[in-house]
Amino acid sequence: MKVVALVSGGKDSTYNMMKCVEDGHEIVALAHAHPPRSSDSEEMDSYLFQTVGSSAVHAIAECMELPLYHREIRGTAVDQALEYTQTKDDETEDLFMLLHEVKEHHPDVGGVSVGAIFSSYQGNRVQHVCDRLGLKMLPYLWHRDQAELLQEMVGNGVDAILIKVAAPGLGRDDLGRTLAQVAPKLLSLHEKYGVHPCGEGGEFESFTLDCPLFKKRVVIDESQVITHSDDALAPVLYLSLRRVHVEPK
Amino acid sequence: MVKFTVDQIRGLMDKTANIRNMSVIAHVDHGKSTLTDSLVAKAGIIASATAGEARFTDTRADEQERGITIKSTAISMYFELDEDQMEDIKDKSAGNGFLINLIDSPGHVDFSSEVTAALRVTDGALVVVDTISGVSVQTETVLRQALTEMIKPVVMINKVDRAMLERQLPKEDLYQNFCRVVEDVNVNISTFQAEKIMGDLQVYPDAGTVAFGSGLHAWGFTLRQFAVRYAKKFNIDRNKMMKKLWGDNFFNTKTKKWSTKSTDPSGQFNDRAFNMFALDPIYRIFDATMNERKDEAFALADKLDIKITSEERDLTGKPLLKVLMRKFLPAAEALMEMICIHLPSPAVAQKYRVDGLYEGPMDDVCAKAIRDCDPNGPLMLYVSKMVPTSDKGRFYAFGRVFSGTAASGMKVRIQGPNYKPGGKSDLYLKNIQRTILMMGRSIESIEDCPAGNIVGLVGVDQYLQKSGTLTTEETAHNMKVMKFSVSPVVRVAVEVKNQQDLPKLIEGLKRLNKSDPCVLTYTSDTGEHIVAGAGELHLEICLKDLEDDHAQVPIRKSDPVVEYRETVSQESYDVALSKSPNKHNRIYMRAQPLDAELTAEMEEGTITPRDDVKERARILSEKYGWDVNDARKIWAFEPENNGSNLLVDATKAVQYLNEIKDHCVNGFRWAARNGPSADEQMRGCRFNITDVSLHADSIHRGAGQIMPACRSAIYASILMARPTLQEPVYLVEVQCPEAAMGGVYSVLNRRRGEVIEEEQRPGTTQMTIKAYLPVNESFGFVSVLRSETGGQAFPQSVFDHWDTMPGTTIEPGRVADIVREIRIRKGLKPEMEPLDHYYDKL
Repeated sequence: MKVVALVSGGKDSTYNMMKCVEDGHEIVALAHAHPPRSSDSEEMDSYLFQTVGSSAVHAIAECMELPLYHREIRGTAVDQALEYTQTKDDETEDLFMLLHEVKEHHPDVGGVSVGAIFSSYQGNRVQHVCDRLGLKMLPYLWHRDQAELLQEMVGNGVDAILIKVAAPGLGRDDLGRTLAQVAPKLLSLHEKYGVHPCGEGGEFESFTLDCPLFKKRVVIDESQVITHSDDALAPVLYLSLRRVHVEPK
Repeated sequence: MVKFTVDQIRGLMDKTANIRNMSVIAHVDHGKSTLTDSLVAKAGIIASATAGEARFTDTRADEQERGITIKSTAISMYFELDEDQMEDIKDKSAGNGFLINLIDSPGHVDFSSEVTAALRVTDGALVVVDTISGVSVQTETVLRQALTEMIKPVVMINKVDRAMLERQLPKEDLYQNFCRVVEDVNVNISTFQAEKIMGDLQVYPDAGTVAFGSGLHAWGFTLRQFAVRYAKKFNIDRNKMMKKLWGDNFFNTKTKKWSTKSTDPSGQFNDRAFNMFALDPIYRIFDATMNERKDEAFALADKLDIKITSEERDLTGKPLLKVLMRKFLPAAEALMEMICIHLPSPAVAQKYRVDGLYEGPMDDVCAKAIRDCDPNGPLMLYVSKMVPTSDKGRFYAFGRVFSGTAASGMKVRIQGPNYKPGGKSDLYLKNIQRTILMMGRSIESIEDCPAGNIVGLVGVDQYLQKSGTLTTEETAHNMKVMKFSVSPVVRVAVEVKNQQDLPKLIEGLKRLNKSDPCVLTYTSDTGEHIVAGAGELHLEICLKDLEDDHAQVPIRKSDPVVEYRETVSQESYDVALSKSPNKHNRIYMRAQPLDAELTAEMEEGTITPRDDVKERARILSEKYGWDVNDARKIWAFEPENNGSNLLVDATKAVQYLNEIKDHCVNGFRWAARNGPSADEQMRGCRFNITDVSLHADSIHRGAGQIMPACRSAIYASILMARPTLQEPVYLVEVQCPEAAMGGVYSVLNRRRGEVIEEEQRPGTTQMTIKAYLPVNESFGFVSVLRSETGGQAFPQSVFDHWDTMPGTTIEPGRVADIVREIRIRKGLKPEMEPLDHYYDKL
């Protein structure tokens, strides 16, 4: 099946693409929702999308040598219920418009790769949009054990770094560290504070620099640590990726 | 004298009606250990000749050197009563042989947690009071502890020899002195005895529950001895005779008539019966021997039926006095008789004690077995303390079998203090490797140990921190945890002199923690190793143990510092809001101070997280004016699931609230353990969750999100409620002659002391001053006081209360300075986090 992959730049959307390919699907395009250019912060605290790292997603498309479709997030989480009902100005409608556009350009696309693991909130919304567009949702990571999954990603060559932290025990020093480096810490925080090892509750976000699907890899030239909220117990910090380039592997 | 074999003792252990488990308790230096020695001498474990000097129960070298008891020690003894004596025992007995398990415990306040541990496993207490200094602060403390544990007291008024030799008190003055002591004891008993289910617990010389004597010289008597002696002579019933020997009963030697007046109609003085029949022969022996009138002394001895050997005839002065008095009125006889007749057997005591001992319902199999002291029921054993073995790092678990029989090799459930029935936490299923009898310095293996006895266990020490319940019954609840009258309020940081010794220090700290019921050892967040104890002396002993025994490496220690508590002084001026890190969940919180009395009730354990919810809510609403609905929705008592801070669900109809309860409680536990100002424990605060708004999907409102949000909200609410510190305060009792008072006052004044009571002991120039003294000002207090009063003032300090300090932690001032000091010491950044680091805008 020809597949469009929803990418945030993070490890989950990347790994799900690997799973799609492994299962015999062909990825023909990438799709990404980004914060408004006018927004003063990359972190929108969206209920649906990862927005930090958005500025560098184009590099991932370059690495995969695939077209990237993107759309600005204009809506907000108007309907915050677990089950989604079509609502005007909801950010879910931005996702609909994004995939609608992909479908216009690639009428033969039948499936959507999505990296959701445990969030029914997100899963329900992607499903809702897919149903309306007659697409099949392909969430290979759905309800996988997060600790196991984290190890598996590291083992299968997903080279991603932490670009946002928002949990007790994670801090400035963890930004920019690779999954392989922080995996032991994440597992111990899981034991200690119930932090989800894959960050599914929003405890951290990542950005993929390389994986077996990439033909080239991403190099970060310039980045800056931004304090999103200066909480004494679990400060929320992210890495703004200012300048990146791709280089051959 | 009886030499024990283990088999003989084991045989006696089955006859619960003939067992007496008892503690010896007193103020420091009132002579417990010396007195205990004379009892042990009687029981035949050490030779009679060394009694009075050996301090058999002080097994440690430092105890012998310092002349104080530090650890409590258990000894088993055997005593036989004669027919007459048996008649006076109210409850049914099995023969006239009695097994007495005695625990000698420390008198210094710093070690009173040892007393608590001792009281738990006993049913009766011998309260020793110094004739001259009378009922002192620690006498009151131990009496209160005993009555809380439903322990029946009898009294020994000690050091009578000193009153006679050093103070030369005439008979009537001595009698008045005795009366005062008895009265003081009884005032305390009636004050502390909360429930009357044990009947009248006051002590009466004419009922035989008060003994008089000298532990050092090993003589003593109760009125029963004299009553027996004179009952024949006057041909009246000995119990009637006993009544006549106390109080306003007088005898006229000329007319041979009894009277209740001190003068006869002709104006002649009558003699008080006590002075004449009990004190007179004693005074005459003292007088004759001390004034070198040996012939008179020997004649007196003959008259009193005292047999003297030819070697003893060569003695003079005090040694002769000792021999005569010990043969005339052997202390052990009198005390053993008093103990066997008046203290309850386990079978009797457990009937009323079960209520105060067991947490479960009073009608389940365990409660029933405890009540009946049933050796065939399910095993219920309480471990009250850990005793180090000669094998480094291993401990005997010391405790009491309340029902069933503990046997070597038996598989038991080991339930720690945090075990909840039906739960799996703090629970181990293990075998008891060995059951042992602990007798002073030696231990003896026994096959098994039935209900009503004190026992030592090998092989359970790894599974219990300090104390806990052992049982064979799956449905068994825990035995109640012990309430200590002292708190570890003074702490020092320790470090090794050589870095490679660090692992040994850490192991040593673990062992120290186990070996003392009160000490607390932990590693702070900044990596400091902390030892916390009840006072300077307690810490000194603990650190010595740590260095010499537990770690065996050279250590360095910081100056002692006190623990503070953090609290709030008013309700938050606004609702505090904190968002979860993903910003999708919001928690709204308000802090307010709890009623001081309620805080005290929670600390004393009368209001606990284990209470019936509705009953507790009723008390909170009636006594403390709580809204009943709020009172029914208390989520947690923290820290340690037992603390004096409450988290209350004050929300109205919020979805998913129950799902986040555990995460909130975890955040609360953390906040209550480490307050926002100085990282000290919180105390006496109530936190109301007034509202929450939560993400619809549970994955986005997990522990990692809610716990920090709740903790932040609590911190924000505290900072909005005038946060301040509470400092620990001692009650100090100083005894000194009137002339030294000026020195005492000036030392107290310089140390922020506040005198609350000043009393002169009637008929003396001795003064007793009671004062509050901040613990922080107490370091070196003892030595400064001694030097400023020429060594005439003797202080005793016991933790009394937490005092809220004026000011707040967030405005410049003394409290803020202390906060800064603590933060620097703990390696935190000197400034507190500002409110907006916890408080989120909507």
